[in-house]
Amino acid sequence: MPTLAETQKFFRNAVVGDEMAGIQSLIVGGRDASKRLEIHRRNYETSLVTALLGKFPATVWLAGTPFVSEAARHFVCEHPPHAPCIAEYGERFPGFLSACPGAERVPYLREFAELEWHVGHIAVAVDQPPVSLQEFSAINDEALLNMVLALQPGVRYLHMSWPIDELMKLYLTETAADSFEFSPADAWIQARGARGEFHMDRLDASEFIFRKSISEGQAIVGAAERALDADPTFDPGRALVRVVAEGLVTAIMSGSEGDK
Amino acid sequence: MTSISRLPSGAGVGLRLPQIAEVVATRPSVGWLEIHPENFLANPHATELLTELSQHYFISVHSVGISIGSVGGIDRLHLKRVRALVDRINPVFVSGHLAWSTYGGEYLNDLLPLPYNLEALRLIEAHVREVQETLGRRYLIENPSSYIGFRTSMMSEAEFLSELVGRTGCQLLCDVSNAYISAQNMGYDVYQYIDSLPADAIGEVHLGGFTVEEDEASPGAELLIDTHAAAIAEPVWNLYAHAIRRFGARPTLIEWDNNIPLFAALLAEAAHADEVVAGTMALEARCADAC
Repeated sequence: MPTLAETQKFFRNAVVGDEMAGIQSLIVGGRDASKRLEIHRRNYETSLVTALLGKFPATVWLAGTPFVSEAARHFVCEHPPHAPCIAEYGERFPGFLSACPGAERVPYLREFAELEWHVGHIAVAVDQPPVSLQEFSAINDEALLNMVLALQPGVRYLHMSWPIDELMKLYLTETAADSFEFSPADAWIQARGARGEFHMDRLDASEFIFRKSISEGQAIVGAAERALDADPTFDPGRALVRVVAEGLVTAIMSGSEGDK
Repeated sequence: MTSISRLPSGAGVGLRLPQIAEVVATRPSVGWLEIHPENFLANPHATELLTELSQHYFISVHSVGISIGSVGGIDRLHLKRVRALVDRINPVFVSGHLAWSTYGGEYLNDLLPLPYNLEALRLIEAHVREVQETLGRRYLIENPSSYIGFRTSMMSEAEFLSELVGRTGCQLLCDVSNAYISAQNMGYDVYQYIDSLPADAIGEVHLGGFTVEEDEASPGAELLIDTHAAAIAEPVWNLYAHAIRRFGARPTLIEWDNNIPLFAALLAEAAHADEVVAGTMALEARCADAC
């Protein structure tokens, strides 16, 4: 008698890999139970493909349902989820999709799908109470430089090599442009969302580097140095004031707290 | 272990993400709401709305991802996240399925069947104990909808569930529609199945719609698929009335997960469940008086 572990291995291989060896002799149901395995195969594939298509509707709009659906079918077989929270499944799909035959006709497909992935997550974030400028004024300048800042959970910094935010706006506004000039160009994007809303803003390179560095846990001084490397005229003080004024900062921590 | 001293009166409905804003805005009159925690764990906004609803409604947490039947063990990280949600909204029930969904670190996003034998019973007993200890409360186990059985099964599903209740102190969530679907698909008497369940252990009842397909395993025959994509069928309502006679009135939930209708249609199904309970209990009372 096969063990439960063997039974589940055979069953898994039949559902995900379409391999009937092993399971066929173990199951009952109707005159040919193996035909009923198709129900579980379908549940697996259809539910995950549907979940992926639901997460990437703009990408479907851009690349077409047949192409994205076919890629999704391959993706769910080659990369099953590893956790039951399906909302978290699909982060690797943009890379997989862009490597599929035919994707080369849309060279910005990966970046577009990645932006959509992030937008989907920031739109369901919940803003935290922001830190005010007054709270910063209580910290002396030297100490401030070594502080690490926590930013709102619904903010992402994305450096793209195509202006895909423009393309995303076309999708979101359901605009059917007669012609649309689209060529490679650096885009430093801040995407911010909360409670069902989101928006995308362009930053210049140095401001982007400063904010992204802060979001990655760099101390203010380190973030400023990186930004100054990109643009010697960058003004860290003003940049910090802008970040605070936009309500992006939710906590001020000493460097050691940030490391934790 | 937390004892549940509060119970919803009246049937409840499954609350899905597309409906949550409407329910927050309109606060419909309904006995209670049931959610799948897996839909909320990565959605802080929906969790915030759910927390608000928990101030006004009984909430039940019905997991589709705590895979108590997996040989690889319970996903403890997932269980910990469910525990955090449970702590936040203090649900009236926490339940899951007699099934497995994970293998070798993969999550197969389906409720897969188990053989009913001692090896499976011992494994699930250990996992139910772990879930109950982690959640600090009694867990309810739902009977599955079956399309496939195993030659290695040594007992009936009802015997397996009864034994599990005896070993772990868990309760049962009797999905009347699943019972009907399984009995039709696997060819046994569903009324006998309901009569075999331990009535005292039934903490909750589910009702949902199914769809009918041709059974490719038996050409010319029909197979019932548990899609939760349709209204509850008449034979299931009849079986529900029988279950109420057998178990007594139990908190009952309407599930509708695909082709989701207007919320009002769910409320109408819930109202019909209440009518079935009232009618059945009245008839029982008259019979008792006559006797």
